Amino acid sequence: MKNRPASLFLAMLLTASAALLSGCKHDADSQPPTGSVAFELKNMVGQQALALDGTAYTTADGETFTVSTFEYYVSNIKLTKSDGTTYAAPNEYHLINTAKPGSSNFTVSNVPAGDYTGVSFVVGVDSTATKGDPLALPGDLNPANNMYWAWNTGHIFLKLEGTVTSTSPNKAFTCHIGGYRQPLSAIVTATPSLNGATLPVRAGQSPKLAVAADVLKIFDGPTKFTVSGLPTTMMPSAASVQVATNYAAGMFSVTQVQPNSK
Amino acid sequence: MVYGLAKNPPDAATFELGRQLFYDARLSSDGTVSCGSCHQVSAAFAHAGQRLSSGVAGRRATRNAPALQNLRWRHSFMADGGVLGLELQTLAPLTSPAEMNTPLAEALAKLNADPAYRRRFAAIYGPGPIDTPQFLRALAQFTAALTSANSRYDKYVRHEVGGVLTAPELRGRALFTAKCSGCHATDLFSDDSFRNNGLDRTFGRDSGRAHITSRAADRGRFRVPSLRNVARTAPYMHDGRFATLPQVLAHYAHGVQPSPTLDPLLRQPDGRLGIPLSRQQQADLVAFLRTLTDTEFLTNPRLAPPRAEPAHPAPLATRN
Repeated sequence: MKNRPASLFLAMLLTASAALLSGCKHDADSQPPTGSVAFELKNMVGQQALALDGTAYTTADGETFTVSTFEYYVSNIKLTKSDGTTYAAPNEYHLINTAKPGSSNFTVSNVPAGDYTGVSFVVGVDSTATKGDPLALPGDLNPANNMYWAWNTGHIFLKLEGTVTSTSPNKAFTCHIGGYRQPLSAIVTATPSLNGATLPVRAGQSPKLAVAADVLKIFDGPTKFTVSGLPTTMMPSAASVQVATNYAAGMFSVTQVQPNSK
Repeated sequence: MVYGLAKNPPDAATFELGRQLFYDARLSSDGTVSCGSCHQVSAAFAHAGQRLSSGVAGRRATRNAPALQNLRWRHSFMADGGVLGLELQTLAPLTSPAEMNTPLAEALAKLNADPAYRRRFAAIYGPGPIDTPQFLRALAQFTAALTSANSRYDKYVRHEVGGVLTAPELRGRALFTAKCSGCHATDLFSDDSFRNNGLDRTFGRDSGRAHITSRAADRGRFRVPSLRNVARTAPYMHDGRFATLPQVLAHYAHGVQPSPTLDPLLRQPDGRLGIPLSRQQQADLVAFLRTLTDTEFLTNPRLAPPRAEPAHPAPLATRN
């Protein structure tokens, strides 16, 4: 689903231009082999899987809260080899929506074969894509997904909504993070460690990366927030940048590297 | 970005579909508010006499509904420039809780549940469900077609029949060129910039352009509006605070308030604020501004609400 036609088209284009460039010396063996990498996101609260069914979760400070919405974009995926060379996967925009379990799995195709030791991705959408032709926002970027600010053109990068249940009365919280303009750009990059593991990408081999996304780290990072003290953010603000910095720093962790998921 | 006409070539059927959508109150959450509720053709698509328009359930928007005309040439939309394209502008009032209060996915679901809309969209875009680009393209065909260029002033400039200006109007025009066209530039009567015109000393209620850019230098700056049909678009300013054109002129003559971001064109070399204008000059300027009224535009039946279709229009399935 996600932008596959575009990726496929790009791949065909690249193949075609490579063929043109190599001219009469064209040789099928000269094409570097490619494989794919599967991603599996698991939305968590600490050690528990996140559920939107009213389950109450407890923070280290003893606050309890429930979550009704948790969505975010993963884009601009980069894979790094041990020699420092990087493959930037084009046209990857994935909306991870806790309410849609299928959205947590996606595959990045056409990755040059090699042993990758690092991964990074933008939590959100780059400014070029978010300002792109509104009539050509495909798939997960479609404004109809409700991850979009109509009044301030651009995507919402992450949404967390819920209720603090340890306060009396209970307190609803709404946290919408977005904005690409400096000084309040909330475009952040997560670089979860592979913990020394290697992603072996080969033709016909699809390693899988299992990544946990821990909601608690939204509150607990370089800036400490209580859930009840989390500022209601519906627009770019200093607080929204702090929240984004938090989730870039610690929300994502690699829990498993599977050499081949096929 | 400026409207890409080539990407949405005008045709009669799509224009009519966009017109239908523009005037369809079923797109609001409670079925009471359409785009046309607050953007009326007789007021150059502003809301005549309404300081702030009401949306669903009597909720009030925070700004005055602006005139809609000659939008094709604009780079951004809203008084703060937050919306970056004409097609996208549809989404702001549609989804705003204080206006039509309908998420885009719900609007699409309503359209897809209506056989008449399905037929009309399919006739233009081919079979399949009505999607975001189709909806935005169709509405933009209507809003992009709201062109006002036939006022008496235009006829005067083009040396056409009926293009006669009186002596006070001509004096007003000369004054306008000297004192107003620094911001209300070109025959669009706006340079499409954002400026602080000295309405207030502080901008806690509405910071204008800074609401989008978060820059202190943008506090209190609002889009310079076009003045076409300005005699018909009262009340004035982003919050509709002035009811009449003489009040607006009086503001520029002796009401401008100081603040760090006040536009330099409103600071005279002698330190006075505003634009020095005698009462006679103010009257002449108002006379000139009235020549920008384009009656053909304001009374164009093709831009008015479409007549109800003679067939039995099926109620939308998801109607609230």
